[in-house]
Amino acid sequence: MQFEWTEEQDAFRHKIRDFLHANLPDDWETFSEHGPASPALTAFAREFCVKLADAGILFPHWPVEMGGEGLGPWEQQILAEEMWIAGEPRGGQYMNVNWIGPTLEKYGTDEQKKRYLEPITKGQSLWCQGFSEPDAGSDLASLRTRAELKDGNYVINGQKIWTSYAGLADTCFLLTRTSDDRKRGITIILVPMDTPGITVRQIPSLIGEGDIHEVFFDDVTVPESARFGDEGQAWEIVGYSLRNERLGIPRFTLARAALDRAVQMLKAAGDFDGDYVKIEAARCAALCEAAGTANYAVVQRRVDGLAIGAESSSARYATVMAERAVCEFVIEFLPEALAGASPYLKMHHQRGIVAGVAAGSAEIQLNIIASEVLELPREPR
Amino acid sequence: MQLSLNEDQTQVLDFIDSLAKPYATVPMHDVSLALESAELDEALVENGFLDVMAVEELGPVMAALVIEKLARLPFAVEAAASAMVRPLIDPELPRPLCLMEEGKARKPLRFLRPGATVVVVGPSGVKSFITTEDMIAPAQEDTLYGYPVAFLTSQPDSMTSHDVDVAEITRAWRVAMAAEAAGLLGAALASTVTYVSERKQFGRPLATFQGMRHRLAEDQVMTNTAYWMAMRAAGTGSQADAAMALHHAQEAAKRVCYDYHQFLGGMGMTLEHPLHLWTYRLKLLTAELGGRGAQGLAAAEALWG
Ligand SMILES: Cc1cc2nc3c(=O)[nH]c(=O)nc-3n(C[C@H](O)[C@H](O)[C@H](O)COP(=O)(O)OP(=O)(O)OC[C@H]3O[C@@H](n4cnc5c(N)ncnc54)[C@H](O)[C@@H]3O)c2cc1C
Repeated sequence: MQFEWTEEQDAFRHKIRDFLHANLPDDWETFSEHGPASPALTAFAREFCVKLADAGILFPHWPVEMGGEGLGPWEQQILAEEMWIAGEPRGGQYMNVNWIGPTLEKYGTDEQKKRYLEPITKGQSLWCQGFSEPDAGSDLASLRTRAELKDGNYVINGQKIWTSYAGLADTCFLLTRTSDDRKRGITIILVPMDTPGITVRQIPSLIGEGDIHEVFFDDVTVPESARFGDEGQAWEIVGYSLRNERLGIPRFTLARAALDRAVQMLKAAGDFDGDYVKIEAARCAALCEAAGTANYAVVQRRVDGLAIGAESSSARYATVMAERAVCEFVIEFLPEALAGASPYLKMHHQRGIVAGVAAGSAEIQLNIIASEVLELPREPR
Repeated sequence: MQLSLNEDQTQVLDFIDSLAKPYATVPMHDVSLALESAELDEALVENGFLDVMAVEELGPVMAALVIEKLARLPFAVEAAASAMVRPLIDPELPRPLCLMEEGKARKPLRFLRPGATVVVVGPSGVKSFITTEDMIAPAQEDTLYGYPVAFLTSQPDSMTSHDVDVAEITRAWRVAMAAEAAGLLGAALASTVTYVSERKQFGRPLATFQGMRHRLAEDQVMTNTAYWMAMRAAGTGSQADAAMALHHAQEAAKRVCYDYHQFLGGMGMTLEHPLHLWTYRLKLLTAELGGRGAQGLAAAEALWG
């Protein structure tokens, strides 16, 4: 075991930091308080990602055949960490380079690759992910949005909810039902968001403007060629990209950075004294580092080419624990941070509180750990 | 020992119930972060509900009961400080009353607005002043806290000194907060229980999953005991009881706020569901009077010296 970054990795991290330093505006910290899906940040990201592309740090972890530099999972991790700590200046485009691009490459038709990959590599496209429905959250496989093949077109009817970025996205990576065979009846369709029949409603939320939406599909008609993979292949494809492409958002890094910021502010106010606040701060730091180790163990598996299973649930849950502790610490000791005293800590709070819900809830991760790591007998259903 | 409500108490609480009925639910179109009602406040004052502590046959337990009951409403009411602390300082102090720890002006003050009375409590005594517009900075517009909050930017050179015992005022403050937290805990629990009993996933109500049932049941135990601790502290007037009551409530708040937002899933992130009104108030109360650490130290001091 070896816990230090290599020189190249350090250099890579510094290259990203220098780039951010040179290219983020002076008022970035206040600005980034707009959620990653806000109109302001989305517009910013459309320019910023072009610059990242020009500097070669939009998708350096992609294989050379795809135009990347073929850097490995550690570099992908470093890139994700630096961007997330900075408040994610890529907005929703992080999804593109994280998993949408590589998934398109693996499963897309030539026409789909041609149409969608180039805008991604130019930093010009925004995707949304239409998975969850009002009655299909944790139980995603019960989704009901129908796609019916009629005369060479899919006609889509149904509703999605919690869809991040939907308000401004160009394309939706949509899960639809094409047959009643639970998981094997689900099909992916790539739907341009300006197709007639789509209605997006923003949901007012605790986590900032523009983040979560309801999306209604009313006789939305797209050509059969918009289908991604085969009918019924969605579960396999999504499973593949979750296991192989997608890195969890490195939330533990921002949690740690937020904690450090909070301690700085307490020190400046003369209130980082007494045992209690120090013990609590240290507890938070340990939880952040614990989450880091769990996340890195997953990255190592990817480096080693091993399948990723319940390890990622462990990493997710450790991250939820860290986020929870830091969010609570900040409010208990620096309640002013959320009322205007620290845009950075408020930004962290709004991103931190979703850690246990977005992308599959914490309790579902616990069920996975119980079944797959501990191999406990399953709860009867 | 006599732990059931007496006739007076039942009557007062019933009266509040009927008066607060129009405010018991969130207006559908209103998804604001802090919900308040001037009319409700006025009605409470007019009917003397914030002055029950001074009425001999009612006293501090009645005040705590009133505070707890009002905290259950989705509408925020400045009742705790007015009903439990103000009578000990000067019953004529103009409302709303904002209690502030000396030297902690950096923290947001609940209900702070021009004309409010700020009471500064600390080593140099208990002092107060009436605020004017120039002393106040608004908080960020989309502050999440569910209470109207603002910052004090300056304090007048001369304040009114009150000849009262700092320890006694701090004790009452703790009890007031514990009672308010108890009401918030009760309302948040009820709201969550309704949601998870109705919401189905995997073909069954969420509430049938044992992992959730156990956590909710523990949350109920914390909530129920937070209520009794607050009432007892109001009744006994003991320093240790007050510190333990607020410690317990703050501990409970941390646990349930996390649990309930988890249990609501995506719905817990919306402003359309009222849960956040109670949980974000609770979160702010975890910072009150120095938080659990300070309450713990105060309790230890009172218990064992
Ligand atoms: C900020 C944010 C962004 C999101 N972005 C997207 C997006 O872009 N696209 C998309 O498709 N979705 C998105 N989601 C949706 C997210 O994936 C769902 O919220 C999540 O899967 C949970 O589903 P739910 O909200 O329906 O909660 P439910 O499934 O109703 O769950 C509620 C609670 O019940 C618990 N529970 C459920 N089943 C069990 C069980 N078997 N045992 C014990 N407890 C259980 C859960 O853990 C949770 O605590 C987003 C959510 C958030 C909060």
